[in-house]
Amino acid sequence: MPAGRLLLQTSALNKIICRNAFTAKKRDTSKPNMVRVGLTFGSVVFLWGLLFTQHSNDVQEYKKRNGLE
Amino acid sequence: MKLDLDEAKVLPPPGIVNRNSVWLGFCGWITAVLNNSYSRRPALKAGVHRQALFVTVGWVLGYYCTKFENYVYAKLDRDMNEYVQIHPELFPQKEKKTFAEIVEPFHPIR
Repeated sequence: MPAGRLLLQTSALNKIICRNAFTAKKRDTSKPNMVRVGLTFGSVVFLWGLLFTQHSNDVQEYKKRNGLE
Repeated sequence: MKLDLDEAKVLPPPGIVNRNSVWLGFCGWITAVLNNSYSRRPALKAGVHRQALFVTVGWVLGYYCTKFENYVYAKLDRDMNEYVQIHPELFPQKEKKTFAEIVEPFHPIR
């Protein structure tokens, strides 16, 4: 017998009543989704910042290891 | 090949603008444009935020690619030079001749 059968709640009324908190909506493509755009541009700025800090750390490390300070 | 990423820090780091970054950034941009095409949106003008994100991700990956590439080639060069140093008998110095010694005399026939 499949194991799922054992988990079926076959009582007349489920003791734990649950409702889904979400409603389904169709995506609105006529307006820009500002949250998504903001997050995207935010992550773009963040990644560039990471790149520049990583580069300057690398340059610093290189100078330190080769005694070029 | 053993990878010791700590010794790689002795090498000069690549610039922000480097070959792999430019190429992967361009690839990311093309991916975003193709995504627009496939989703039936205007290819270049739509989803600029997406294009920017893909370019940035490609650029960052390219930077780390260049660092890794520099490290691998530096390792290979170091091993090769060590080998040449240890076995000098296998790499004899050729005596250098000037062009004057090699070239035959010129007899013009006009």
